[in-house]
Amino acid sequence: MNKSGSFYRYLNRIGWLFVLPAMLLFCGLMLYPILSSLFLVTRKWKGFNNTFVGLGNFVRMAHDGIFWQALGHNFLFMLIQIPLMIFLALILAVILNQGIKRYRGAFRVIYFLPCVTSLVAYSVLFRILLQSNGLLNNIFLNFGLIAKPIGWLSDPFWAKVTIIIALTWRWTGYNMVFFLVGLQNIDTDIFEAAEVDGASQRRKFFAITLPLLIPVILFSAVTSTSGTMQLFDEPNILTYEGGPGNATMTAALYIYRQAFVLNSDFGYAGALSYVIVVIAGVLAFIQIRLLGRRD
Amino acid sequence: MAVVRYGSFGRFILWILLLAGAFLCVFPFFWTIVGMTLNPNDVVRGIVIPGREFRSNFDKAVKNYNLLLFFFNSAKIALLTVVFGVTVNAFAAFGFEKYRSKARETVFAVLLLALIIPQIALVIPLFRLVSFFKLLNTHVAIILPSVMSVFIIFFMRQNFRMFPNEIMEAARVDGASETGIFVGIVFPSMKASFASAAIYMFLAQWNSYLWPLMTILGDTKKTLPIALSSMMRAYTIEYGALMIIVVLSILPVLVMFLAMQRQFVAGLLGSIK
Repeated sequence: MNKSGSFYRYLNRIGWLFVLPAMLLFCGLMLYPILSSLFLVTRKWKGFNNTFVGLGNFVRMAHDGIFWQALGHNFLFMLIQIPLMIFLALILAVILNQGIKRYRGAFRVIYFLPCVTSLVAYSVLFRILLQSNGLLNNIFLNFGLIAKPIGWLSDPFWAKVTIIIALTWRWTGYNMVFFLVGLQNIDTDIFEAAEVDGASQRRKFFAITLPLLIPVILFSAVTSTSGTMQLFDEPNILTYEGGPGNATMTAALYIYRQAFVLNSDFGYAGALSYVIVVIAGVLAFIQIRLLGRRD
Repeated sequence: MAVVRYGSFGRFILWILLLAGAFLCVFPFFWTIVGMTLNPNDVVRGIVIPGREFRSNFDKAVKNYNLLLFFFNSAKIALLTVVFGVTVNAFAAFGFEKYRSKARETVFAVLLLALIIPQIALVIPLFRLVSFFKLLNTHVAIILPSVMSVFIIFFMRQNFRMFPNEIMEAARVDGASETGIFVGIVFPSMKASFASAAIYMFLAQWNSYLWPLMTILGDTKKTLPIALSSMMRAYTIEYGALMIIVVLSILPVLVMFLAMQRQFVAGLLGSIK
């Protein structure tokens, strides 16, 4: 084998050649935009004209009640929807792994089905299903569960519930598949040893299954959190532009509307997006600390 | 290791839970498919018995809503993204993994760092760049920024780690070129990984909404998600026709999922092993 210096230099050149196209695209379409946004946020934009405002956009942001309210909605969805979804996904995964094994494959496919819909498609479907004269209200009315239609899309409280229901429908099966893989990776010898020692089912679950599943649960919690922080399609389509009256406005949607719908002020929108970047950075840090290096 | 005894009451409850969940997962699909055959009022009311309006709904979808054009746009954009994307990212991943150097490891670390930045923060300066080059309202504007994907490079790199270096050395002794090794030996033996990457990229592009929403202004350039969302803004909505468009936007993904479950899930779960 030729291990001379010239051959190494040749391989090194090949290495650069292979990564070159991706690097060019990265520099042009990711690195440059990121750097250019540093210039963007110091300015106020009106159409094609801009004036230097320094940190003015950030000062304006501090007083922007709707933005902080929108960010609060992100956290609200995160704090209620993610635990709910993980709980449901965990129950389903445990049932399929330990309780009912017949038709496990079929159930896994069925529970995964919501994931084949695009975010836009399922938002459209839920918007129709949840209209005040829509299917869900009709069912509830027919069974006498409610006296008058629920404003799933028109009431500030129920609109938030709608987003949570929709997110849970779309993502529970996805997380369940994660958990099922995690459960199947647990060595059955541990359970047999515990059985010999006379451990009860409940104890086996809390002492063995759950602790061994923690890394998978954390991973899915962190990915879901970063997804929820960027929530856009659902509030824009399902509850129509974050409505009713900003009740489901999210940070990403508000930023989009600042840049493209309301003011075309890219400087302000860019400054707002820095908040999301900081949150994403903190999340990434937590992810690395909690999960360690995954290799 | 059945935890709950056969024929017990607990087992019965579990079945009820599982079936109820399964029903909730499947029902919207069933309702959508039936909706294709109904008039708009019946779709909203939630009639679940097939009607006779499929023909006229389909005509409306094609004529009033330009269904076939949007489907073609979506397919074209997604397929081109996959072809360019898998090639560019796989070569990069292979370069990073099998031709290691300190400098390239640093570059790779920068890539991973950029992965943290959320889409909404990236698209605003990107929009200005794209508009500077007069690429607004073109499909190039949608395809080009999606070709390079840090996630796919990361994913493929993890996969290439499993490819034995000895085989590459043996091929070099036999006089194979480096590109020849990659195209002729690595690619054929790692088709499953490439398939996962392709599926992931296809899904991301087929379903993407935020970026096309910003860049696509004209009616003829729309993709299916953009068409769907703008249909929902109309004053009167032809729900039957809408259902046909929804089904058409789901169908390719569903077929891919059922045909290639393993790669599909691997593609979605990413680096979970």
